[in-house]
Amino acid sequence: MFVPHSEIDLKKMFEELSISSLDDLFTHIPETLKLNDGLNVPATLSELESIAHFESVESKNTQNLICFAGGGHYDVYLPHTVKTLTMRPEFMTSYTPYQAEISQGILQILFEYQSLICDLTDMELANASLYDGATSVAEAISVAINKTKRDGVVVSNGFNPNTKEVVNTLVDKNKFNIKYVDLVDYQFPEDYIFTEEDAAFVVSLPHYEGSAQDLTSIVQNAKAAGVISICYVDPSMLGILKTPGSMGFDIVVAEGQSMGSPLSFGGPTVGWFATKKELARLVPGRIIGESRDANHTKTYVMTLRAREQDIRREKASSNICTNQTLNAVGSTIHLSWLGPQGLYEIGYQAIQKASYMKQQLLEHNFNISNQNNSLREFILETSRPAKDVIIEMGAKGFLAGIKYSENEILVAVTEKRTKNEIDDYISSLQEVVNA
Amino acid sequence: MHSGGNASSLPLVGGAPEPTINQLSKPGRRASRFPKLDVPVTEINNPAIRTDKPSLPEVSEHDLVMHYSRLAHRNFAVDVGFYPLGSCTMKYNPRFADYVASLNTFANSHPSTPEAFTQGNLEVLHELEGFLLEITGMDNATFQPPAGASGELTGLLIIKKYLEENNLTNKTDIIVPDSAHGTNPASARMAGFNVVEVSTDIRGMVNIDDLRSLVNENTAGLMLTNPNTGGLFEENIMEISNIIHESGGLVYYDGANLNAIVGVCRPGDMGFDIVHSNLHKTFATPHGGGGPGSGPVAVKSFLKEYLPGPIVEKNDDQYTWYTPSSSIGRMHGYHGNFLVALRALVYMKLLGKEGLDTLGSYAVLNARYLSSIISKIIPLAYNEPCMHEFVATVKDLKKSHKIKAYDVGKALLDKGFHSPTIYFPLIIEEALMFEPTETQTVDTLDDLAETLRIIIDELQGDDVSLESYPKNLPVGRPNELIPAKHLTVNWGDFELLEITE
Repeated sequence: MFVPHSEIDLKKMFEELSISSLDDLFTHIPETLKLNDGLNVPATLSELESIAHFESVESKNTQNLICFAGGGHYDVYLPHTVKTLTMRPEFMTSYTPYQAEISQGILQILFEYQSLICDLTDMELANASLYDGATSVAEAISVAINKTKRDGVVVSNGFNPNTKEVVNTLVDKNKFNIKYVDLVDYQFPEDYIFTEEDAAFVVSLPHYEGSAQDLTSIVQNAKAAGVISICYVDPSMLGILKTPGSMGFDIVVAEGQSMGSPLSFGGPTVGWFATKKELARLVPGRIIGESRDANHTKTYVMTLRAREQDIRREKASSNICTNQTLNAVGSTIHLSWLGPQGLYEIGYQAIQKASYMKQQLLEHNFNISNQNNSLREFILETSRPAKDVIIEMGAKGFLAGIKYSENEILVAVTEKRTKNEIDDYISSLQEVVNA
Repeated sequence: MHSGGNASSLPLVGGAPEPTINQLSKPGRRASRFPKLDVPVTEINNPAIRTDKPSLPEVSEHDLVMHYSRLAHRNFAVDVGFYPLGSCTMKYNPRFADYVASLNTFANSHPSTPEAFTQGNLEVLHELEGFLLEITGMDNATFQPPAGASGELTGLLIIKKYLEENNLTNKTDIIVPDSAHGTNPASARMAGFNVVEVSTDIRGMVNIDDLRSLVNENTAGLMLTNPNTGGLFEENIMEISNIIHESGGLVYYDGANLNAIVGVCRPGDMGFDIVHSNLHKTFATPHGGGGPGSGPVAVKSFLKEYLPGPIVEKNDDQYTWYTPSSSIGRMHGYHGNFLVALRALVYMKLLGKEGLDTLGSYAVLNARYLSSIISKIIPLAYNEPCMHEFVATVKDLKKSHKIKAYDVGKALLDKGFHSPTIYFPLIIEEALMFEPTETQTVDTLDDLAETLRIIIDELQGDDVSLESYPKNLPVGRPNELIPAKHLTVNWGDFELLEITE
């Protein structure tokens, strides 16, 4: 399958190599290592047979759940224009653009991607993508540690637990002291005292729980103690939130799924990473720069390559090589499709619809833990175990949210949700909790 | 000569530079439309909210489509021409896999959806794990690592945790061949190990005497590809893995070169304890211009409980998530690059036993044939039978005519082929590393060799200016100093630079 060799081809190649069979290629491999009977795997399937197989496997997933789950991944509308352009084979089947002369397409898009992210976050320099939001947080912490040579890491507890777990995996706990700071009334404490041992302050905007605050004065306090401030931002809210740059952050990272990637069961998505130029030489991953060729024609090229693993090896700032370029292409095209008004509307409509939902839930005697300072995502209290409520809501056609605690569900509303879906959610929820 | 892999007809030629999307922006234009808000408006009072609009380009949908389509035309790809790119396994990526990855709940499941509602997705991962374990000869796998380098780090963190739990914290050295990919030493450092380099012998294989002298009570493990980065099968692999095991260390398989041995032999039978695979190389998922990849890690059963969790398990026809008891912790926010894993499964199902049993054989046949015909033009680095890739060198041409590997690569671009990998492995001077993969025809291989012969002749000409290659592409060689010096990485910067200079 996909091997093009005809009998005539094989004859010609065998003659060139003076062999008479494929097995003759491997006389130098120890006999004891060879697979004499081949692999124990199923027989080949034609494309036609595979369609039936994979459609049947896909049908085992519960179909058409209306999504009220968020936590970093959001059911934002992804236009067909963005999907089809991103999937163009010239982008999708190309290699890393080391050969600039035949890779100007990908290079220019990544340059646009970096620039758009800088504009949106008020930063000066972005890289060409990292794996996802969670790993980007860990990479940002390692930049702060390398910059400050300190060993304390102050992390807000208002993060997706999975993100905290990735940080715990990737930041060496034997060498560095990770201090998780609880939110107070769903806000990071304004009076938190940073010390001269702290390398990084990491906080989410909005917090995982959906609450948001202006973080400017906390970032100022961190800066006064020489701490690098890292903002994990929800990109689909950047049309309506104050920018992390305007709040004084040094590094901005994001889970970029909502900009250009389908939910994809969590991957592939893209990690955004942007910062100030003074940190340029510590940035992980690839960076694209604008240059000129010998004829002064505009040319894009990978730059600051000396930071990277293929050149610096064990002294590299990160081991990242393959990144999430195609998802970054998706972000670029989606953001260009949205424009300022579109990105604003995604945030504005989500918040308005969440406000309506919260109001309706209160009117139907449900409690919301963070009614006042939450935006598009909030914590719904459930009289029955959250786990059971989520399963039973699934039977009614809703992904009700993410279990937050034994009796709380984190509910997210995107611009895609309609008044009818919200009303139906609430009446289904009443049936479930009263059952 | 006509061949399917020759892209010299491409209309990449000449023309003006493409403006940026920002240069196409005009106030008031837009592509996006949204439904009218269908809920009553409430006042939003939150100090984090701003009043002005974000800064983004304003373009019509048609302008947007034309701009990005033109950029697509300025890009080489597997669907366009032949990449003889060593170490990268740029094989054909079946279109059909993209169809499967676009099916509704595969593409659109929220990652927090409970396992009860995502049995199909879990079945995909479980079935793929079965294929992968059979192909590599291992016992358990995780799909969290989103790329090969992340897989390497996963493997090394597993070694570290295993050593910690067995009170072997004195073992701090990871041995890496001097021919290894840069990610190997970088990953070892990230995991907190010391990197110790083992040399390569004259035949191009791990220097066993050197290895013995480096192994001691501090040896935590060895990272190795087999075939190695020179494209040669490490014939003494059993001796190598025994040396490491006798010292109490573990042996890690870098799956970069797995394509050579699929259906021929298995890392798990060679003494490897941990194996990562690059689904975007061996199992034909598209490279995406640099990603996404997927770097699943498979281990022998004694290491199962260290894997990043959760992993999929099957109990009585139900698939469930299981978090290993001594897990190193998550390597990814959710389940890794699920849609990449799905595409790899589609590829494996299409190939089945017939295709997988001979996969490595055809990959090696193509490389061995290409090495044979190219060796008549430029010398090979090693006089050994190659596996799926081989290294040639132009160090003699550099001495005689100042022709560098870089020049040969650039001249090939002009003739419709991607450059081979150059200057890698680092231990070979003026290296050109070729990997044809099994999906190219013999005509394309002949065409590449013939083109290489023409180029070598041309570059040795009397009045040749080597720097002028490539000549037929939209841009020539970029000045690599400007962006590094002036950080022209964000639009607007360049105009500033030109004013100030």
